[in-house]
Amino acid sequence: MSTLARATRAQPVHLVVVALIAAVFLFGMTVSDRFATPLNLANVQDQMVALAIVALAQTVVILSGGIDLSFAGALSFLCVVFAALAGDSAGSLLMAMAVVVAAGVLIGVVNGGITAHVGIHPLITTLGTSTILAGVALLITRQPTGSVPLFFEDLTYERLGVVPYGMIFVIALYLLIGFMLWRTPFGTRIFAIGDNETAAAVSGLPVKQTKIAIYALSGLLCAVAAMYMTGRFSVGDPRAGVGFDLRSITPVIVGGTLLAGGKGGVLGTALAVILLALLANVLNFMNVSSFYQWIAEGVIIIAAVSFFAGKGKS
Amino acid sequence: MTTLATNTPTKANRNTIRAVQKRELLLLLGFLVVIWAVTTALSPRFLSPANLKDILIQAAPLGFVVIGQMIVIIVRGLDLSVASIMATVAVISTTTIDSTPFIFAVGLLLGAAIGAINGYLVAFRKVTPFLATLATMIVLQGVRFAYTKGAPGGTLPDTFRWLATGDILGIPVALIALAVVAFAMHWMLERTVSGRRLKLYGDSPAAAYMTGAPTRLLVVMAFVLSGVMAAFAGLFLVGYVGIVDNWTGRGYELDSIAAAVIGGAALSGGKGSVPGVLLAALILVSLFNIVVILGLSIELQLVIKGTLIILAAAVYMKRSQN
Repeated sequence: MSTLARATRAQPVHLVVVALIAAVFLFGMTVSDRFATPLNLANVQDQMVALAIVALAQTVVILSGGIDLSFAGALSFLCVVFAALAGDSAGSLLMAMAVVVAAGVLIGVVNGGITAHVGIHPLITTLGTSTILAGVALLITRQPTGSVPLFFEDLTYERLGVVPYGMIFVIALYLLIGFMLWRTPFGTRIFAIGDNETAAAVSGLPVKQTKIAIYALSGLLCAVAAMYMTGRFSVGDPRAGVGFDLRSITPVIVGGTLLAGGKGGVLGTALAVILLALLANVLNFMNVSSFYQWIAEGVIIIAAVSFFAGKGKS
Repeated sequence: MTTLATNTPTKANRNTIRAVQKRELLLLLGFLVVIWAVTTALSPRFLSPANLKDILIQAAPLGFVVIGQMIVIIVRGLDLSVASIMATVAVISTTTIDSTPFIFAVGLLLGAAIGAINGYLVAFRKVTPFLATLATMIVLQGVRFAYTKGAPGGTLPDTFRWLATGDILGIPVALIALAVVAFAMHWMLERTVSGRRLKLYGDSPAAAYMTGAPTRLLVVMAFVLSGVMAAFAGLFLVGYVGIVDNWTGRGYELDSIAAAVIGGAALSGGKGSVPGVLLAALILVSLFNIVVILGLSIELQLVIKGTLIILAAAVYMKRSQN
């Protein structure tokens, strides 16, 4: 195995996704002249950023054998809070960032704490917190309100050549989390708990604390996504997170991470995010209505899962 | 074979199971009485026959869905596609057919067929229930929007409307239908071999397999029942609202999971009773109604629902640990 393959934990499934990306890309070029232009490709990247961040969070949680459905409510809530506090100066922006990050981590700690200490299935716990936060976001405001400083808004739109700043940030996040998963004791614990929680507990790993830390990390990444989204919208939308709970799961699964935990990684998720974003873009060029895009998405999930079903537990 | 013998419930531990179930039911009933009493004290309008009838009619569709959801949860599954089934069945059967009996026949068959696909993916293709039903949910969404080109039209037959809104001797027809179906499902779960096998499978798939139960078919059956229940719910809901909409039943997937959990079904499988989940559905719908009656902001419904899900799950978790 080459050093590169070892460093990225590349697997055969990743080659399949890369081949699909190449196929979609070539197909896109035949569909429209405007597809392979720098402008369009930069747009595709812009559309990936928020989903890429929450899918990264979901990857870590799913690797540990859990699931985080709180993004829908949490994103909406954090967007509203961020836009309400960010004001129009660097000082208020920093304050808002601190508050939103703290709130995101707190949401994660509550999710992880209830899951680990009370023993409720994470699906139920995070469904509950998501519902509460969605309600609180709408109680704060029914209409999109608030603002962010202009320079912060610009930051989410600016590009380095064809690569948006947001995308560079996402790549850095993926590298960081990948390093954490494969080169730190915390990462090893995540895989151990996802693989066999009982075995991890018996061998003396601090399962409960690790779970809380995992959901806290997920909440932190959710806060980051919320700040980016608020910057893009330049307003806090109390419905910003709708759909992100389930949407965040698709790239994780298509990327080869098992819902049962313990197997997979961030490279697969990254590739799957690219594949899904390119596919949506090409289908848009073909004027395929979103109705058929939904059908395609569902079929892709079933195809991906059936593909992995033959390879051990799914 | 001694291990197998301990897995089959003896008369004595079957009685303890019943006693625990009875206590849980009393707890739910007590909670319902308390919230009704408090609301009546704050606003006497709550206890008016008209309002109570409203609550019951609104609870009927959720009642159907939650029974199906519970049966799937009993076999360690989860059905995220129920709301999508509700809308798809309602849209397709009411826009293509004019006669009420045929709307129901085609609708229920369609629900069963979609449930069978879910069951096939889970039992035979070994896809996690969460993902299988998530995929069906999204595909169905695309299918019905493509079928109606985004805007379903047409009128509903009078008989169809009457079934969902009318009453016989003051009792809503929808409620009578729910009572009949609920009784049948309760009888199936508690008194037939299939019911016992469903619960045994939820407790221990390996044990169920060793007793010779057709385990894969059991799982398919659970999803088919859930599909049929969702079809009932979709048809009654459309009949009640009077307008066919592509988003009929939106949110019922989560509400039904909430009601099932509050009603005592455990995601780990094997646990759940029809009276329990029906009471839970009634509690949820009552709380929604209370928010409106007391003139509170409608978003509070979400906060109450979320809190109740976590609290109920925590209570059951503590009880099962003791």
